[in-house]
Order: sequence, then structure tokens, then C-alpha cells
Amino acid sequence: MRTQPSVEVGTEWGIVSARQAGRELAKEVGFNNVDQARIATAISELARNIYLYTENGVIELEVVEKDALKGMKIIARDDGPGIENIRDVMEDGYSSSGGLGAGLPGVKRLLDEFDIESELGNGTVISTIKWLR
Amino acid sequence: MRIPILKLGKYLLISIQVELDDQTAIQFQEDLLNRIHQEGSQGIVIDLTSVDMIDSYIAKVIGDVVKMSNLMGAKVVLTGIQPAVAITLVEMGVSLNEVHTALDLEQGLETLQQELEG
Amino acid sequence: MHSSVIDYIHQRKTHYITKWKEDLTQLVFQQEGLSDDLTEDITNEMIDLVFDGLFSEEHEQEERLRRFADRLSHYGLPLSDYIRGLQSMRQTVKSDLDAQYSEGQVAAFEAWLDELISKLVDAGAKTQERVIDLQNVALKEMSAPLIPVFDRISVMPLIGTIDTKRAQQIMENLLEGIIEFRTQVVLIDITGVPVVDTMVAQHIIKVSKAVGLVGSKCIIVGIRPEIAQTIVNLGIDLSKFSTTSNLKEGVETALAITQREITPLSTS
Repeated sequence: MRTQPSVEVGTEWGIVSARQAGRELAKEVGFNNVDQARIATAISELARNIYLYTENGVIELEVVEKDALKGMKIIARDDGPGIENIRDVMEDGYSSSGGLGAGLPGVKRLLDEFDIESELGNGTVISTIKWLR
Repeated sequence: MRIPILKLGKYLLISIQVELDDQTAIQFQEDLLNRIHQEGSQGIVIDLTSVDMIDSYIAKVIGDVVKMSNLMGAKVVLTGIQPAVAITLVEMGVSLNEVHTALDLEQGLETLQQELEG
Repeated sequence: MHSSVIDYIHQRKTHYITKWKEDLTQLVFQQEGLSDDLTEDITNEMIDLVFDGLFSEEHEQEERLRRFADRLSHYGLPLSDYIRGLQSMRQTVKSDLDAQYSEGQVAAFEAWLDELISKLVDAGAKTQERVIDLQNVALKEMSAPLIPVFDRISVMPLIGTIDTKRAQQIMENLLEGIIEFRTQVVLIDITGVPVVDTMVAQHIIKVSKAVGLVGSKCIIVGIRPEIAQTIVNLGIDLSKFSTTSNLKEGVETALAITQREITPLSTS
């Protein structure tokens, strides 16, 4: 298991560097063109949430292996206000940022595993995995 | 960073060659609308062949640009959206409803001609 | 297992084999279409596997078990028959050992045989997994080619059940093909899709949206009466999508979209 240096998302440029780092690692792991786009897009969505709602946050990228499977783990970690209504944000069409509201449910559909933990006042950790087909 | 907007007869051509960050996207929106106003353009082709990722925010900016241009009387055709980009957009549930698309710049211009000249 | 037990079993090998073979012919090896030579050969391999197994190294034994399992799967022989064969071998040897050795020694032999059986089952399961993997690859390869039929018009016939994995594969093939052939209109023929339920319909809707995004149009053809019924009964709305009942009409629509038509040659 290998951890890539995490990418700080404090500015809009952080979003760009996070998804570029994600795409590069995805390429290295051997994901095809479409999966690379899925991963880069998902990271972009996660990083944008951090940028919009919190002061500090990071995107961590990691290569994972389970049995014969190889994959890429993407963790978005912030110390922001936390999410009050997780069920709401996981519903299609919900948006508190004026985006298309595809954010988190969209991310869930793009990747294979999706896990969210949030505590009011203590931040949010979203942990996701895309497995190599 | 600014995205260059080219004029070709009655049309405006934009080929997006850079990684779209939010700032660039918003700047582009403003530039394009000003240009439509100046030139009185009726047709616009935005070529996305080199764009390898569109997230929901950028999709919204592009969708908005199309709606705003339509309000100003200009038809927009998006061309060259890559398969990988199309697949991620559809999977995320982002639909660019009622936006005209074409395979490439050439067919995009044809589509505009048909739209404008009937 | 105690080495004296091993030696003893080895000494009595010929006796066991004769006895065991009698049992085996009744139990298994009656697969139709197998020649006697082959049956004999596989029986001998299994016997060697057991008796040589007493002396061989573990990894060597595993390799042999793997090859044996591959062979069974190759000839379509069920593993369970062979396990029953091993159970009968247990009976034969055990009754012989009971007279000579302590309970503990006999138990050790049984434990050893159990281990062998579980290893054989493992090897069989692994072989199965490999076969399934190969089948998946084969399925991927045969999944839905995009066929250009006229300039700017292509057809993609879909055959068989569409699950999520396959739908993704089809989508990727389709979109890349559209770019490659510069396809303006693509006809997706679902004549060969047995069931269109809500999930399949959703996949088809996604595909046509993606086709629209890359700048092409999509017509769904081959909607049979029963498919039309299920689609409406399930409340699936395909009204925004262009559909026809057969490929012929689809081709005509596609030609009209690309501003062409088929006309008979004028006879002069």
C-alpha cells in the first residue's frame, strides 16, 4: 500500500491540482480513459465541496489492493462545519451551493465504494474507492 | 488565463485548450457575452475536443453560457465532447438539456448553418 | 502421520488400488463419450495423486492437484464424483488400518485425507474461477460491435441480457465507434434483447443521452410488441427518444436526418 502526498484544497487552484494528481495516479494504476475521467471528475466534486464549505481540507490518494483486486482510494477530509443532513445531500437534486446538485450522489455513482462520516462542528471525511476492472 | 474567441464570418469560434478552472470558466462566460454583444453574432461553436473532464460546476457554467447566449439571440453548438466526458456527465446525472451538439468543428458549423438558414 | 503408517499404506498399495478400482468403476468414471483409455488414465492420475501425495512436498502436491482439477474441468467431469471416489478410498484403507494401528494413527490418516480432499476442492474452485474469468473476457469481446452501414450512419445490434457491467462496456464501445466512424446517426437494435425492464431501459436512456452529448443522434429500433407493452406498463418514458419497430424504418429515418433517401433507379 502506498500513500501519495495529499493535496491541500484551500483555493480554486487546489481543485485543479487535486484532480490532476488523481488523474496521474489513475493512469499509473492502469485505469482506462473513461475511468480516469470518472476519477478526476469525482475528485473535482469532492475538492469543490471542501473549497466551498470549509477553511481547510485535503484530498488524499492511495493505491489499495484487496485479494486480486487493485484500486484507488480517494479520501476527502476537512475540519469544516460538518454536514447536518447527510441523507439530504445524498439525494439527487439537492444543492446548497447553486451547482447542479449532482455533487455527492454523482460522486457515488462514478465510483465503486462510498462512505461518509460527518460530525457537526468537527468536519467530514468522505472515503471512496474505484476498483480496476 | 483567458480563452481566445475567434471570429469567422457571422460566427464565433472557441476552442477550449486549457484545463478549465472555475476562474477561467467564469472569465470565459463574460468575454463571450461581451463579444456577442459587440459583433452581433448569431452562431457560436464551442469546441471541447481537448477537454478531458467536466464536473458539475463547469457543466453548469457551460449550460448557463448557452442559455445566456440564446437570450442574446445567438445559437450555440458544442462540439467534440469526448466519450469519457459524456459518460461521466451522464453517470453523474448532469444533462445539458436542449443544447445542440455536433461531432466536430466542421459538423458544428454545418449544424449552425442549417439552424440559421433553415 | 507416523512414518510406519505411511510405509504400511505404501506396502499395501497394490491391494488398495485393485480394491479401490472396483469401487471406483461403480461410483464414477461413467461419463458418456469418454474413451476407456482416457478413463483409465484419469483414474491412474488420481491414484498416483493419493499415493505419491504421501511422500511429496506440499507445493508439488498443490501443483499436481491444480493440473488434475484443470483436467477434470477440461473433460467436463464433475469434481463431486471424484470426491466420492476419495471417500471410498478412505473406507478401504481405514478398515485395513483399524486392524493394525491405534485409533490415533487412524485418525491421523483420516485427517491427512481430509486435507487432501479440501485441497482438491480448492483447486477445483480456482479452476472454476479461471473459467468464469475467461468467459467474462470472451463476453466482453463479443459485446456489441458498432457497424457502419452508410456514410455517417451506424448500427449497433444488442444481443442478450444487459447488466450494468455490460451496459458500461457497450456505452464505451459505442461512443468510441461514433468518433472513429464520424457517425451522425446510430441505430441501436434491441431485437435481440429478451427483456426490457426498468433497469435496462435506464441503461438505454443513459446511452442515448451520452450519444447526444458527443454530437450524434440515436434511434432505438427493434421494439417488439411485448417490449412496447412492458415499457408503457412500467411507466418508462421513452417519448423523448426516437424509436421505431424495425431496422428498415430506422434506416429510412436515419437517412432523412442526414438529408438523403433511397430511390429506385429510373428505368429508361
